[in-house]
Amino acid sequence: MKKERSKKYRAIQAIRIFTQFFFFGLFFYLLLMTRYPGEDYIKRVEIFFHFDPLLALVTFISSRTVYIFFLPAVLTIVVTFFLGRVACGWVCPMGSIQQFFSFVFKKTQLHRPKKLEDNHTVWKYYLLIFILVSSLFTLDLVGIFDPFSFLYRSFVVSVMPALSYSVSSFIGVIYGLNLLTIGDVLVQFFENLDINAIFLQGLLIGMIFVGVILLNLSRERFWCRYICPLGALLGVISRWNVLKLKIDTEKCIDCNLCSLQCQMQADPYPNEKWKSSECDYCFTCSAICPTNAISFPGKAAPESIESIDLSRRKVVLTSLLGILAIPFFRISPARSRASEKLIRPPGALPEEKFLQKCVKCGECMKVCPTNALQPAMTEAGPEGLWTPMLVMKIGYCEYYCSLCTQVCPTGAIQELTIWQKNNLKIGTAWVDQTRCIPLKFGNPCIVCEEHCPVSPKAIKFITVNVQQPDGSIKSAQAPVVDMATCTGCGICENKCPVVDAPAIYVTSVGETRSERNQVLLDIFQSEEDPY
Amino acid sequence: MRRRDFLKDIAIGSLLLNIHPKMFAQGTGSPDVALIQGESPSLITKEAIKALGGMQRFVSKGDKVIVKPNIGWDRTPEQAACTNPEVVKTLVELCFDAGAKEVKVMDNPCNPARRTYVRSGIQKAAKSAGAKVPLPNKHHLKKIPIHGDSLKEWEIYTDFVETDKIINVPIAKTHSLSRLTLGMKNWMGAIGGNRNQLHQNLDLAIIDLAAFFKPVLTVMDGYRILLRNGPQGGRLSDVKLHKTVAAGVDYVALDAVGASFFDIKPEELRFLQIAKEKGRGEIDLEKLTIEKRTI
Repeated sequence: MKKERSKKYRAIQAIRIFTQFFFFGLFFYLLLMTRYPGEDYIKRVEIFFHFDPLLALVTFISSRTVYIFFLPAVLTIVVTFFLGRVACGWVCPMGSIQQFFSFVFKKTQLHRPKKLEDNHTVWKYYLLIFILVSSLFTLDLVGIFDPFSFLYRSFVVSVMPALSYSVSSFIGVIYGLNLLTIGDVLVQFFENLDINAIFLQGLLIGMIFVGVILLNLSRERFWCRYICPLGALLGVISRWNVLKLKIDTEKCIDCNLCSLQCQMQADPYPNEKWKSSECDYCFTCSAICPTNAISFPGKAAPESIESIDLSRRKVVLTSLLGILAIPFFRISPARSRASEKLIRPPGALPEEKFLQKCVKCGECMKVCPTNALQPAMTEAGPEGLWTPMLVMKIGYCEYYCSLCTQVCPTGAIQELTIWQKNNLKIGTAWVDQTRCIPLKFGNPCIVCEEHCPVSPKAIKFITVNVQQPDGSIKSAQAPVVDMATCTGCGICENKCPVVDAPAIYVTSVGETRSERNQVLLDIFQSEEDPY
Repeated sequence: MRRRDFLKDIAIGSLLLNIHPKMFAQGTGSPDVALIQGESPSLITKEAIKALGGMQRFVSKGDKVIVKPNIGWDRTPEQAACTNPEVVKTLVELCFDAGAKEVKVMDNPCNPARRTYVRSGIQKAAKSAGAKVPLPNKHHLKKIPIHGDSLKEWEIYTDFVETDKIINVPIAKTHSLSRLTLGMKNWMGAIGGNRNQLHQNLDLAIIDLAAFFKPVLTVMDGYRILLRNGPQGGRLSDVKLHKTVAAGVDYVALDAVGASFFDIKPEELRFLQIAKEKGRGEIDLEKLTIEKRTI
């Protein structure tokens, strides 16, 4: 029989692939641009997140505040309402990456599509219910599963650093081959990209990312089909959309190719089984149909729509789980007593409110000019997994910088001017008397004082007389920290020549955002609440 | 008198009038240090170099030159933590005028280089004059024998080694360990490694580094000087508008002159005292010929 594939749908498919590349490119471009732009204020490089209605909804529910920057998410909702999950198939960079690897795995025959009878696509709806219900009780877990947060975090914390490491090794080879000019050009190019290359959890987050990609070996677009809570939300919204699949039964030869090749397990065949809320409008079915039997007429009557097949019992059970999970997440001491290591970026809301808003996306970690912002593991309790904290041994808070406060997509870090930022404390520096070079050995040093950026300096001197092992006395200038002016920026810890465990270090105590994590009463009273 | 003789006499006379008695004493046409005061950083820099005999005395045709300012901190020119960008720009222009093939302006700052290069205004100024302003490249770091009395070897940016001429352009600032940071300490920005450890013997380290880099010319930027909170300052009240540029070949003498900006006697500075003892240069301002002018 002669194949009669639809030219029209093949063209649409090509446009769709182009669009996906375009949006992924845009996503990657904005990621690269999330760095010190050569001036103090950065443009809205976090804009992708604001088109995400899931983040908007959960942030709204868990923090009980409307964040105006999420307005573009309304557009996504409107488009999905009328046209279905086109955002999943045409725009979402996470979807594109899943599909790209699905395509590769299929072409290399590492994955062979099988006929599926199961109904596992409902998992993601239960996950969505779990997230929404727990957010109702101020537990914000959306960042772990939201596709933009997941992808951005994976790129920032693991893909880009790995890339940066490889590039650096490659450049080393270039220099080894004595191609000095090429080496110099490459170094200047990559130095200007300002890629943060050191992350505490690079391997873990990278493994999760690779794991999600490898899931495509088992099912095409595994993440999108079974996990993605944003896809689930859009699926619910798309229930009444006008783009309905229509199979011309006259032409259909019941070959089942469409269902087999469907990216999303939307079951195009038979027509009445087609799941509108699963379809991401990739138009694969209509493009590969050998008899050109499938079309998406704009005004098809919604005679029989396969609704999302959730069992009522499981919905109730998941909701209960969402509620039950909350106390378990809050057993940790993080809630009752501040962790000394949990130094939040400047402008971070008080911890409880911060956790209600932070979506662990990694924007702040990408833009930080010193690589200081790192994903937390246990420091902030289970709720605070992958939320940002400063690790001064890796970087420090740059004095004339408030970039992290500008790129936060949810307002978990309040936008600050540089002046505002320099008038608040993120922690306090402490001198370790047993390790400080002047205090321990009587040798000159003062590197911490030299680097202290505030004026007048928060590190001052006292003269100390240190008894040497032979009994003689050596006199030296030793640092003392002035708590009133120390902002906790951590450059002293970062530059301390005692490299392994710096002899001056910053802990979170004294942070402006906290009422309880304070030491000196008078300092606490003299500081005004910046919010 | 014939017209020709008259002109001849005028010519000889004006030449004679221009010759300062000290020129004969020194056996050379230029002073040890040119100390020029004035409103424009650019003009006083030009004037100082001119007083020394012009840039062609230091830079030959086809030379690769490195101009090493202090770009140590993420601070604006007004805060006087980094060298004045106009001074740097003027030097780059003078180098090109003297026939330099390539001029590089670079430093290894304490804050991230991309930030300091921008906020100091030096990147823009130097680039506008045609200089290359590369970010420090860790692949260029090499452990190199310094042959110093205290520093035997250290990681150095080879940019400073693989060049024909080096011009040092420090800014004069206070520093709580060496008291002042001037020209000799500026070489801390040409090295890598764990340079913060050098602070335990800073005075000796900077003497060794200064001897290693051997600048052909040192231009001390004293347009704005930092009186307090050095070496990075912060408040404008820490800054004094001194409107001076000093230039010369003897880098030790230049640091001695720099000390005088702060009314500090050179011999009070330990590193200058030791440098003098080692015979690296002159610190006695009385013994130096200083051409001091205000324009």
